[in-house]
Formats: sequence, C-alpha cells, structure tokens
Amino acid sequence: MTLGDVVAKHKVVVCVGSGGVGKTTAAAAIGLWGAHQGRATVVITIDPARRLATSLGLEVKSGEPHEIPTDRLGAPPPRGTMAAMMLDQKGAWDRLVERHAPSARVRDQVLANTFYQSLSQTFAGSYEYMAVEELSELHESGRYDLIVVDTPPTKHALDFLEAPRRLDDFLDRRIIRWFVRPYVSATWVGMRLMNRTMGFLLKRLEDATGISVLLTISEFFSAMGGLFEGFHERVERAYGILQGAETAFVLVTSPDEQVLGEAEYLSAKMAELRMPLKGVIFNRTHDELALLDGSRRDGGDAGGKGYVEQVVARALSMAGGSGDPQELQALVDNFLRYQMLAEGERGRIEAFTAALRGRVPTVRVPNFSHDVHDVGALTGLHPHLFPSAQGRGDGTR
Amino acid sequence: MDALFSRRVHFVVGKGGVGKTTVSVALALMAVRHGRRTLLIELEAGGRAGSLLDLSQPATYAAHLSPAGVWTIAVDGRSSLEEYLGLIIPARRVLKAVLHSKVYQYFVAAAPGLKELMAVGKVWYEAERRGDDGQRQWDVVIVDAPATGHSLQYLRMPRAARDTFGPGLVKREAARIHALLESSKETAVHLVTTAEEMPVTETIEAYTTLASDLRVPLGLLVVNRLHHGAAPDALVDRLREGAAVLPAADARVALAVARRATEENAWAAINRAQLERLRVAVPLPTIVLPMVFAREFGPDDVAALSQLVDGQCAGQPGAAQPPLGRGHDPR
Repeated sequence: MTLGDVVAKHKVVVCVGSGGVGKTTAAAAIGLWGAHQGRATVVITIDPARRLATSLGLEVKSGEPHEIPTDRLGAPPPRGTMAAMMLDQKGAWDRLVERHAPSARVRDQVLANTFYQSLSQTFAGSYEYMAVEELSELHESGRYDLIVVDTPPTKHALDFLEAPRRLDDFLDRRIIRWFVRPYVSATWVGMRLMNRTMGFLLKRLEDATGISVLLTISEFFSAMGGLFEGFHERVERAYGILQGAETAFVLVTSPDEQVLGEAEYLSAKMAELRMPLKGVIFNRTHDELALLDGSRRDGGDAGGKGYVEQVVARALSMAGGSGDPQELQALVDNFLRYQMLAEGERGRIEAFTAALRGRVPTVRVPNFSHDVHDVGALTGLHPHLFPSAQGRGDGTR
Repeated sequence: MDALFSRRVHFVVGKGGVGKTTVSVALALMAVRHGRRTLLIELEAGGRAGSLLDLSQPATYAAHLSPAGVWTIAVDGRSSLEEYLGLIIPARRVLKAVLHSKVYQYFVAAAPGLKELMAVGKVWYEAERRGDDGQRQWDVVIVDAPATGHSLQYLRMPRAARDTFGPGLVKREAARIHALLESSKETAVHLVTTAEEMPVTETIEAYTTLASDLRVPLGLLVVNRLHHGAAPDALVDRLREGAAVLPAADARVALAVARRATEENAWAAINRAQLERLRVAVPLPTIVLPMVFAREFGPDDVAALSQLVDGQCAGQPGAAQPPLGRGHDPR
C-alpha cells in the first residue's frame, strides 16, 4: 500500500499535524493529485499562504467551495476537477446563526453578544467543529468524490480529533436548559434554586472578579436555543464520517517535531478513537547520500570526509585549476553538515516508523529551497508524495 | 547587555516553529551567566524548554532548577485562574466543586481573555514576588510565549480587562499588570523569526501591532537559522563540470556535494532578501543566529547560541542598529 493507494481508496482524506509543518500545502497537493486522477475534488483549507490562496483563487472568503478553472491547474489540465474552500471560522459561525436565528432582531442580538463572540473566536474546538461541520455538508451534498481536509494548526497533532466532541460536551443540552429558563436570565434566584451552593459561589465569583457574564450567557442561549437543539446530532454525524471506512487520516510532520517521539501513543490513541492513521508525510526533510559501504562508515566521520575531499578536489581539477583550498573545504564541510542533519532525521523517522502499529505508508518530501506557493510547485510535490511503483525506496515499510 | 537585563520581564514572541523556545532558553542562560537569578516561564505547558535545559521532564507549574542554573515553570491560564480563585474561595472542597462545574466552564469561556489575563497575571506575580528578606525573588523573568497570534492576545488582555471589566479585583490587577507591561524600564518584548517569507510577513505584522496598537516596549529582533552560503556559485558549477568526467560512483558524490552547495546558497539568498525586508520594516536592534546543523539539537547547541547572543549584545550598546552578520556571499 502506498500513499497513492490510500488516497485512491478513500473519499475523505484528513491531514492532521501540529502548526507550521506544511499541512496546508500537503492537503492542496493531495487534492490536485486527486483531480489529475479524474476525481471531483474539494480541499477544505484553513489559512493558506497568501500566494497559494491567490494561486488557487481563494482571495475571497465566501464560505462556499470555489471551483478552480482547470486551465489554472497545470498542463495538461486534470481529467477531474478541483474546488477549494477557505474555512473562515468567524464567518461560518455567523452563517450558522443567520441560518437558525428566528428573526433579524435576534440575529443581531446574538452577533453582538460577547459570549457568542468569545465562543466563535476563542473557544478551543470551535474552529475544529466548523471544519467537521463543513465536511459533513460537503460529504452529504454528493458533489465531490474526494474531500481533502486541512485541519487547524494545533499544539498537538491529535488535538483536532477530539475537539468537536469537547465542544459538544461543553454545549451540553441539559446545562443549556438552565440558561434558557426565563427566570435565570432575569436574576440569580433561579440559579440559586437550581443549585444553592453553586449559585451562591458564582455570585461571589462575579462580585469578586467584577466580571458579570451569566446574564450574557443566558441571553445568548435564550435567543439561540434552536441552534443547539441539533448540535449533538450534527457532531455525531460528523464523527460518523470521520470514523467511517471511507475516511483516511494522514499525519503531516517535520522530522524534528515532538510527535516523532510519540509513535506508540499516536497509534494507540487514534485506534481508540476509531480514526486509524493511514499515512505519514514527513515534510521538509533532508535526504542522506549513502556515502560508503558499512565497513568504511564504521571507521567514523574522518574516513568519509577524506573520501569526499578527494573526490571534490579531483572534480575541481578536472574542470581546470585546483582552486582555493579554503573554498574546497567550504564545499566539503557544507556537504557533511547536511549529511549530519539528514542522519539525525533518518534516525528519528526510522524509530517513529518502526513504532507505528501496522503497515502505514510513509513518504518524505524534501526541504525545498524555494517557496511552494503555486500550482506548479504543488505539482512538483507529486513525485515525492506519490512516487511511481518503480520509484525510490520510500513507501511501505 | 547590562541595558538588556536592566529590564526584568522579557517576552519572547514569534510564529510557531521559528525557535522561540531556543531563544528564550538562550536568553535565560545568558542572564544566569551575568549573575541574574532567572526564571523562565513557558506560557502553556508541553514545550521543549525542559529538554533544552537538560531537565529530565517538561516544565510544570512547580519550579525546577536546571543544571545551568535556570529556574523554570510552565504557566497556563486555567491553572493560574484556579490558583487565583483559591484565594477567593478558601474552602477546598467547595472550590473543587466550582472548578468542575460546567457553569464555571461557561464563566471562563464567557469572560473573554480571562485565562490569558490570569496567565500574564502570574508572570506579573513572579516578577514582583519578594522573598522573606524583602528582596525580589527573580532579577529576570523570561517568558516563552505561544505562537504570535495567541501571544498578542496575552499581551492585549491586561489593557482590555482594565478598560472593560467592572470595578473589582480583576480590574485593579489588570491595571497594575498593564502598568508593568507598558513600562520600558521593566519590560521588553523580543521578536523571533526565521528569514523566510511567511515568518517575516507575520513578524512585520506583529511588529506593527505591538509598536503602534499595543504600544508595549520592544527589545530585540532575533533572526534565527540563518544560512550563510557554501561557496561561490561559479565554483559549484566547476564542480559539476568536473563531476561529469569522474567514474560514476565518484561523480555521484561530487554531484551531491554540488547539490548541497546550491541548496545552501539558495537558502542564503532567501535569507538575505528577507533580512533586507526586516531591516526596512522592523527597526529594532537585531541579533542573527546561524542555522545549527546537528543530529539532535540539544542543550549544548542552545548554550553555544546563547554565547552568540551575548557577543552580539556586547557589540551593540543601547538601541543602536547592529551590524548584521553577513555571511559568505556566494556570488
């Protein structure tokens, strides 16, 4: 099984990983590849670099999938199609409110409510929730046969998987009912009747901190009760898709993330959540040139260094003149520094891959010394993500 | 240098993955070398400061002393808020019931930025804390802040809270914290970035926000992971030419050497262009740190970088524009 097989066999591909590892780029490249395989593809993305967004025609956050003209998707144009959708968390919540608010007055009231603003902007999990909400919608629309999801940057690679459920837990309907009872919104009396100690303490909390919020919360839930009626069901439906056989999770990571030390935890946790890991993309890696056979390698760096110096000196003299010995040294030192970097990465990647459960295809994408910000550069990732069968040694462990 | 650590509170801010923790640890080591009692605070637990300081475990809410003499703690808004509520609600059982209640979660969620405020409050508390002898506990407090956007929320909170919350403890404390934050005698916010397009763009935006909107006193701009180039491109071309006439096995090695040189030169060129953008848009005293090539980046590497920061600070008294470390120009 290769990463290509994984993408080919699944309808939904979710890219997870911590922030700053190139998830957005990987998701876009996978989507583009799907289009070239003849599929109707959509990429749900979060915060692409400006030039990538421009290149994909995503300047406007419309909250709708935007079909990319096939002539912008390289030559020859793909057999399939590619759409991209930029997830705008705030916008998506606002649309949800607009959809469910009983009147324009209530809508405005909710949009101005500080609890709502806090919930939609800062509460951990709401971004993730919106991603799965959009995923459900696109999935059910039946318009696409490949949906690639780029997840929000999180501190830990797995945060995305549980966040929607945490939000659901937070918005527990039984508790919300407390807040929508009219007498609660008016005074503290209701709260005190519900739970004498709690009400009393929260009153003290408000007095002591000088922050009065319960009235705000109550107003919000009273106005928007309807929004949360179906919330639990929507979250469950989204998890149904995430846990379904049609969905594959792919980890995107750089070779020096903390997550590389946590392969066992990662495997166990994802299995427990019934969202098994189906592929790993090591991004921004450096490959290592196998310099010498094992026996000479054991002789230590000095042996390899001497050999490289010799070869470089010979090559330079062949091209006329022996040149400055300092420059020769600089070339060799530079090479050996990258070899060392690559060797460290290889060790971490091998240890990580060995500790993963089952056979998970892995690929390495090199650390390009140019920005990957347009369709051409995305296509340039394909030989690394989807090497052909007779390609290089990466692939299935 | 003494000018640098005459300020007591140092926030280290930057995009995810550019080396904020490395720079925070380097500054902390430097402060210790200069005889300062130093506390390194990780905002949000789970960071790498512990391992870079050669501690066997990540930083926690309780302080640990590293072999090199840096004290370290991890602070998150929730724990700080709970600690603070412990002062308001002394009965443990009752406090526990409150903290576990969903209504409390709503309270925290509904008071925007309360967690952030409490975390910065903890920084302020540590900076002001005095021992039994009446002396300050710490000479220098260094804060390894989260990714830029979130950092700005932390730095924005005290003023926002002072201006929006009703009279009460929180408003009073917010005003005190804000006073410390905006004092250029006490506080410095340092920006960390790599010289690549996206981090630089974010750094320029952060600089503008910090300087003209938040108006917090700024310190250093630290440009991390700078590539200096391998050798002139003409020489690399000659290496390629020569490789063509070598036996295949040797040619492979020679071409790999050439490819690495081209790669390094390309990074150096990107770095130079981005440094120039920074020079124009972020007029702060600038420290440049080289890309570290290592199998495993560890405590020794940070210690070496710390010496470099020290050296560059010594060479640039006050706020003068420092000479930027220009590497070997490959052309």
